[in-house]
Amino acid sequence: MTTEADSPETVERNGQPEPAAFDRLRDLLVGPERERLEDAERELEAARLTPERLAEHLPEAVAIRGRQDRRLARALTPTVERALRESVRRNPRELAAAIFPVLGPAIRKAVAETMAGLVRTINTAIQHSFSVRGLKWRWEAWRSGVPYAKVLIRHALVYRVEQIYLIHAETGLLLAHVAQPDLTTPNADLVSGMLTAIQDFVSDSFGPQGSGGRLRTFSVGELTVMVEPGPHAVLAAVVRGQAPEGLLETLQATVESIHLDFGDALVEFEGDTAPFASAGDRLAECLETVLTTDRDDPSKRVWLVWAVPLVLLLVGWGWLRVRANQRWDAAVAAIDASPGLVVVEAARGFRRASLRGLRDPLAASPKALAAGFGLDTVALDDRWEPYQSLEPAMIVARARAALRAPESVSLELRGVDSLLVTGRAPVEWLWAARATPLPAGINRVDYSALVPVLPAEAETHRRELESSRVLFGVGSADLDPAARAAVRTIATTMRGLQSALAPTGTRAVLELTGRTDPTGRDDANQALSQWRVDGVRGALIAAGIEAELLSGRGIGSSSPIAAPAAADRERVNRSVSLTIVLEPVASKGTP
Amino acid sequence: MIQKKVCMVGVYGTGKTCLVQRFVHSIFSTRYQSTVGVKIDRKVVLVDDEPVTLLLWDLEGRDHSHDIAPSYLRGAHGLIYVVDGTRRDTLDQAFELRDLAERAAGPVPSVIALNKMDLRDDWVLESGDIDRLASESWHPLRTSAKTGEGVEAAFGWLARATVGGADKADT
Repeated sequence: MTTEADSPETVERNGQPEPAAFDRLRDLLVGPERERLEDAERELEAARLTPERLAEHLPEAVAIRGRQDRRLARALTPTVERALRESVRRNPRELAAAIFPVLGPAIRKAVAETMAGLVRTINTAIQHSFSVRGLKWRWEAWRSGVPYAKVLIRHALVYRVEQIYLIHAETGLLLAHVAQPDLTTPNADLVSGMLTAIQDFVSDSFGPQGSGGRLRTFSVGELTVMVEPGPHAVLAAVVRGQAPEGLLETLQATVESIHLDFGDALVEFEGDTAPFASAGDRLAECLETVLTTDRDDPSKRVWLVWAVPLVLLLVGWGWLRVRANQRWDAAVAAIDASPGLVVVEAARGFRRASLRGLRDPLAASPKALAAGFGLDTVALDDRWEPYQSLEPAMIVARARAALRAPESVSLELRGVDSLLVTGRAPVEWLWAARATPLPAGINRVDYSALVPVLPAEAETHRRELESSRVLFGVGSADLDPAARAAVRTIATTMRGLQSALAPTGTRAVLELTGRTDPTGRDDANQALSQWRVDGVRGALIAAGIEAELLSGRGIGSSSPIAAPAAADRERVNRSVSLTIVLEPVASKGTP
Repeated sequence: MIQKKVCMVGVYGTGKTCLVQRFVHSIFSTRYQSTVGVKIDRKVVLVDDEPVTLLLWDLEGRDHSHDIAPSYLRGAHGLIYVVDGTRRDTLDQAFELRDLAERAAGPVPSVIALNKMDLRDDWVLESGDIDRLASESWHPLRTSAKTGEGVEAAFGWLARATVGGADKADT
């Protein structure tokens, strides 16, 4: 602007023209240009890009550009990606929170669809694999000996594309042919020719003049022949059953693709079918068998792959479960029946089991019993409240414990509360047991059947004494020299016995039994036998035996000693015999 | 594999079907059965030790009421015209049939079988006729479906001609 202003003034001064006229001249000469220059200047000013101006137009500009093509999006992509990455790096939560409302429903939808698909798959698989119909067909196949596949086809065949012919349109020669494996088609080339001839015939007979009308489909019994013509080759499909509509489209697509790939070979065909060998695969794709039970075939197989092991697993698991349950029940019953154990509560979970009840301290270990049934005692929690059982076995057990009965002693409960002790035991034990208070549930103990075991020496003396007799003459109570000698021996042995018994806390009382032979009156015999006892007793006291260790009485001839010979019997019974009665020394003082 | 379409062309009753039966199945029947439409048979012949499958289209013979359908002739690799040697008109009509056939199939190798040569007493064709045929680039051969004479030769020549051309077939 300044330059423009300067130059006219310079001209004016130098040339000295009339200023107003010059201005007018100037307006006339360059007026329009000057206006345009000024406009351009204004536009330039307006077009100068400032951030404010850019901010004003940016959204609109982006929108316009975005509508035009995708270059803007492409240009922005790396920046946006970097920005996202940066955002995640700085604070992942920000972005996660932003997309959460979108993510949740999307995931739920995906999961729901997957589940629905799975359920559908399982439903169809179950329907087809184990349907009554399927089993019926298997039965029929088994009964008739016909392969199951054939029975299936007979009942369930929807359609089956059995053969595909690729026929050269002009010559009717067979270019390629495929058939289901179970079919034999030795005359495929003749069929191809005849199909063509029929086509020609139909076309000649029924097709409108020059229209090239063609036979597309015809049926023979269960078979339908579908013909798909192309300019140079014809595809014919032999279908058993109800041909689906989709098959025609498949055939069309195949004819088209064959024309595409074999176009030149078809035009130049002179009878050599070698170039068409590779078309066989494409034809084979058109062969298919569709059964009503077939529709979900792949899913069925997939299902079976895991269903069979699953069923086996379930059966196995169930069997183990039943076995485990039986074991558990048996173990609980056995524990409950075991003396001194009462099961109040038995519970069994998936992994652990628990037992609650009462247990006598002397009862068997419940865990040991459980282990005997093959139960895992580690997984068994048991809690037992102690109690005293009055079951006979427990009473006996308790008595055995209380009496400290040795193995050689048997205890047996007689009646409700009477204990019978049998077997053999050291004589000391007998005295100790007798001194022990009776355990709960027992009021009487019978030791009479127990054989007390004495120290060996004492036993010898005892036997010696008990086999000794002091013999008398007929009707006499006098001790003859032999009898006196016998009494002396008895006294000596008696002293030996006492000293042998001393360590066991036992003393022996000598019980004397006087007898007579059966002759004579009973009352006389009774008196005689008593005299004989008194005689021996006196002699023994005289020999130094304490009177309190001696007891006894005459019994006449009432309970004679047995002897084989009659004379001997009389002699043996004219005697005083000896029996040892053992007593605890401690009881000596007791009344 | 090489396949060739060969059409049997001729007036009714000249023995087209009989020639095919003789050639393919080696049988002959005196019972006459007129062919309706077309019957197709197959025979594998060896040409220079190469198997060639001939698809023999036995076309319905021409009669007063209708002509041979040209659509059957389309794409034929070889033609066998069959003439009844005892009926001169069948030869005359062969010329008309040739026009029709060559329009449909093009100039393909062809044989003209002068059939029924076993019926010598009734034979009406003369050597002049045969010379005339040869001069008009026909390949005439005398045949008898009944005795089999000339049958193999006729089909064999044609097979060779369709594979390697007429020159090769002549050698």
